[in-house]
Amino acid sequence: MAIDKTAGTAPGAMIGLSADGTEASAPKILAFCCNWCTYTGADLAGLNRMKYPANVRVVRVPCSGRVNPQFILRAFQKGADGVMVCGCHPGDCHYATGNYFTRRRFMLMRNLLEFNGIDPKRFHARWISGSEAAKFRDTIAEVAAQVSALGPNTRYREER
Amino acid sequence: MNKNEQQQKMRETAARLLDAGEAAYVIGFGETRFPEKTSILFAHNAEEADRFVWNDACVQSLAKYLLEDRFADYRVGIFARGCESRAINRMIKDNQFKRDHVHILGIPCEGVNAKRCASCAVHNPVVYDELLWDAVPEPNPETARFARAEAVEAMGPEERYAYWSDVYSRCIRCYACRQACPVCSCRECYVDMDRQGFQGKRHSVSDNQTFGVTRAFHVADRCIECGECERVCPMGLPILGQTQKIIKDITQLSGDYQAGMNAEDGNFLGAFDLDDKDDFM
Ligand code: SF4
Ligand code: SF4
Repeated sequence: MAIDKTAGTAPGAMIGLSADGTEASAPKILAFCCNWCTYTGADLAGLNRMKYPANVRVVRVPCSGRVNPQFILRAFQKGADGVMVCGCHPGDCHYATGNYFTRRRFMLMRNLLEFNGIDPKRFHARWISGSEAAKFRDTIAEVAAQVSALGPNTRYREER
Repeated sequence: MNKNEQQQKMRETAARLLDAGEAAYVIGFGETRFPEKTSILFAHNAEEADRFVWNDACVQSLAKYLLEDRFADYRVGIFARGCESRAINRMIKDNQFKRDHVHILGIPCEGVNAKRCASCAVHNPVVYDELLWDAVPEPNPETARFARAEAVEAMGPEERYAYWSDVYSRCIRCYACRQACPVCSCRECYVDMDRQGFQGKRHSVSDNQTFGVTRAFHVADRCIECGECERVCPMGLPILGQTQKIIKDITQLSGDYQAGMNAEDGNFLGAFDLDDKDDFM
């Protein structure tokens, strides 16, 4: 039986490719969200039925300090158009100090990416607490708008 | 003292050390068949110590060889210039061995290799057990310490990406940069792991580029700016620029920052300040 490539289960549909293999136009944004704050904030945004762009894919991490800078590079390689790292406000870390390390690390990483020719609008680090559902919504909208304006990312993208 | 007298002094000191049993062996430079090249010589006795050489071909950093024997229960002697002494401090800071594991023979150095030593800011050893000859004047601190990074920063974003993708399109992933780096002290390097999805193994610009940036970030605040990575790169890639950029940013955030100047400070990423800026967020 011939495979119907237009069916919903066409290869690639799961990773945001349309049936003919071309990229879906929407930018893909990967957000690493701390379990204790931003992830809960995103949950709250959902409970409150807030609308925000569907471009964001949330990856739950135990702490924003868990995010290895290599994750960012890997995300760009695998097709992300923008990447976010979101954690608790300074002073609010569940593990007391994790986000202070995050702050230093991603200050350097952001600059290093820019140094390597990646537009800094494609990488954002933010503090969003568990009660800031509206801030989560607004941040996603803002980042999605910036990344959409830049168009799809080809830099660091893995050739298939 | 000219270099010949210095060489003689090095041989004598090493022989004395070995005779006295203060070190199991001494790490230094030896001759090869080629006058413009030296090898690493591990002298175990006075006779072998007489084969140490000291000339403008002594470009390798000796410090990395300390890691081969980092768990030994005997002491190891090593000749150390500014760069080697900073590497040793960094290794002690990274808990590779204790200070009394090494007997450091300090050899002030005015630079041996125009390329590698161009951005050197520390000619005299910063840690030693004995200094073999008088200290030399330190270079002007502003001598182009961040020249490589600044050249790239001056480019526009498109140009910067084109620059680095051109650089990494030539990378052959031999990992010589990692191998020579004195602060790459991991017993198993992440590039050698065969875990799927960790670091792409393909020879593609994308994988090469992510390797380059990741390696730079691993070294990051520990980089002692010796330039060994660049010197050993068989493709001649200007990769010191990446770590220079990181050190330059740290300098901007926390004032003067030089890794390896002592064995206590210098842990930018492993520490924090409540008042760190987050205006980049
Ligand atoms: S590149 Fe990274 S993982 Fe490899 S030895 Fe250096 S610091 Fe360790
Ligand atoms: S030494 Fe040069 S060619 Fe070899 S892996 Fe490092 S950057 Fe690539």
